[in-house]
Amino acid sequence: MTYPHELHPSDEQLSAYQDDELDAAAHRRLGAHLAACPRCTARIADFAALSADFALLPPESPGVDLAGVIEGRLTAAPGRPRTTPRAPGWYGLLPLGIGAAASLALGIALGVALPTGGAALHRPVALTVFDPFPPGSLCAGRDACYARGALSSGVMR
Amino acid sequence: MDDADEALALRARSGEREAFASLVRRHQDRVFGFLLRMLGNREDAMDLTQDAFLKAWNALPGWRPEARFTTWLFQIARNAALDLLRRRGSLQFVSLDDPPQQGDAQDPRDAGPLPEERLADRQRIDLLQRALAALPAGYREILLLRELENMSYTEIAATLGIQEGTVKSRLARARAAVLDNYRHHAGRSPDDLSA
Repeated sequence: MTYPHELHPSDEQLSAYQDDELDAAAHRRLGAHLAACPRCTARIADFAALSADFALLPPESPGVDLAGVIEGRLTAAPGRPRTTPRAPGWYGLLPLGIGAAASLALGIALGVALPTGGAALHRPVALTVFDPFPPGSLCAGRDACYARGALSSGVMR
Repeated sequence: MDDADEALALRARSGEREAFASLVRRHQDRVFGFLLRMLGNREDAMDLTQDAFLKAWNALPGWRPEARFTTWLFQIARNAALDLLRRRGSLQFVSLDDPPQQGDAQDPRDAGPLPEERLADRQRIDLLQRALAALPAGYREILLLRELENMSYTEIAATLGIQEGTVKSRLARARAAVLDNYRHHAGRSPDDLSA
């Protein structure tokens, strides 16, 4: 099968023919058309000449060994970011478990210590009944918290 | 796939910098040449070549051997070039009437006196470089990948992220655009040029 005389293959088909990117049947069909069509043969020649021009382009080079430059930049930069996160196994939860256990132990230790050790830090409640300031209140000033003369004697009211 | 590239890329993926340095040395000229012709400026091409390799290093853990390394690398370089062209605000077009700027793609005339028989080659190279610079970036990149990098339509499709059918049609339009450019600016037909 060939192209009808009044029809010509498109640039797309001719370009793909030039690149040998048509399937075998289409390549044969277009080849048969080219054998009898000067117009399409000239167009293919244009494409071939263009490819030949590209082959004339001088090779380009940065002129330096970029491997050394890039190595320096990699050394200066932080490590390669991880793009594929590791799937967490049981060992992945280990730090979390240790942290939770430590928090729990600390909480229990503080809870046990508070009723005994903590009480010794405060004056007995009975002694503070007649204080002008309720326990835990902030002093309005230095004189409000300390009796006159107490500062000089070093005795705390 | 190039077995040597694949082996080096696998080693580089696992963190071997020596293997990555080998990959850089193997491909730096190709990537630089592609970027230089995409951007038309040697300094930008140099910066982007380095950036492309650094991005490749960081992205290597996600690279799979099913993808050809050079295709993957050119995809990174091409994206970097398009990003820069976008940041410039528009795709740069070089006037065909402007003489090539110093520092741009190497002019073969810089190589000193040439034999008489190379005069025609010089004229054709000059014409092609000007025509390429005047093309839209989409046409320029597909021509470079096909004509200079000898990529198949499948590889070009993978690099540009388009269908093979689109590669076929875009490449044909790009070639037609260059030939029209030849005709317009050389004042003669491509038939004359190819004669």
